Amino acid sequence: MKEYIIMILSFLGALFILSSSIGILRKPDVYLRINITGKASTLGIGLLLLSSGLFFNEVSVGTRITATIIFVFLTISIGGHMLARAAYFTKTPTWEKTKLDELAGHYDYETHELRSEIPRKAPELNNETKN
Amino acid sequence: MTKSLFLSNLMLTLIWVLATGVLTEENLLFGFFLGFGVLWIVTTGKTDRKYFYIVPTLIGFIGTLLWEIIKANFMTVKESIFQDQLEPAIIKYPLKAKTDGEISLLANIVALTPGTVVIDISDDKKVMFIHVMHLKDKESFIKEIQTKFENKLLKIIR
Amino acid sequence: MSLSEFYYMIIIPMLGISVILVFIRFIKGPSLADRVIALDMLILISIGIIAVYSVVFNQSTFLDIAMLFSLIAFLSTAAYAYYIEQRQRK
Repeated sequence: MKEYIIMILSFLGALFILSSSIGILRKPDVYLRINITGKASTLGIGLLLLSSGLFFNEVSVGTRITATIIFVFLTISIGGHMLARAAYFTKTPTWEKTKLDELAGHYDYETHELRSEIPRKAPELNNETKN
Repeated sequence: MTKSLFLSNLMLTLIWVLATGVLTEENLLFGFFLGFGVLWIVTTGKTDRKYFYIVPTLIGFIGTLLWEIIKANFMTVKESIFQDQLEPAIIKYPLKAKTDGEISLLANIVALTPGTVVIDISDDKKVMFIHVMHLKDKESFIKEIQTKFENKLLKIIR
Repeated sequence: MSLSEFYYMIIIPMLGISVILVFIRFIKGPSLADRVIALDMLILISIGIIAVYSVVFNQSTFLDIAMLFSLIAFLSTAAYAYYIEQRQRK
């Protein structure tokens, strides 16, 4: 009985990982790829680790696996956020069918600051045009 | 007050485990709920009752979160194999949460739910920029996240 | 079908195919961020492969390395993101 549970869990985990790697190959731009990896890989890794934890069924293995799963769940979303921010800073083009982009114009590329409103007119630009 | 009630709940759990002499996960959980019931009967006064509201809401919230994560994974499987019509967009989301802890918890939850990724949070902590995979309508999307996650989270924390 | 046969027949080929697919993206990737996300994904898949092999060889010690890899994956992603952001700043 325990074997069948392990089989089902590990099969689901491998299926999620395989689907997210197909997605990373087929999606058209960086942000969609980050989206895909963050979703499917968390539960895929979690289920694979959980199945091996069920196989050993010891306390020492269980604590290690719990720590790994919690760490993966916490860090994947943070890593995705950092990468998306860096990709937006380097002006990586978004897909041409993107519906609307409300982030455009909010970044200050000089000071790396993110404003909550778009400024009316940048004062440095005015000076340059006068000169 | 909530803290002291939580601590006395833990104390009751320990006493239950020591009295029965069985140290397993099931017995710990059962002792916790037994202590919760005992405290629920014993405690009087309106200001103390908040603890008995928080614990069931927290359990329900974790349940909905796990359900959302599982739904996100099956959606990803369906999408990467049958390549649906994509409508990506970057949306400005006005934050109600004020402190750093609330904002980081909310951002983590939003990043784990289906089809959304947090790109950045503005420096004055007023808005959050979210990349969405399937956008039907901007207003309804913002309202959905507010009712589903943010209001419940703020109710639990504050 | 026993457990180790199931793992050899189904799980390991699935993970191997996903490694190949991610590696194609790692080579093709038009921008640097694509390559970093592919690298991150490769490390995560290798965590899964380590978990599978620890069951096949019945050695629970392998899981220590899985934990270490999950730490390294986050560190490398954070360092690369910082590098991409600061690169064009003179």
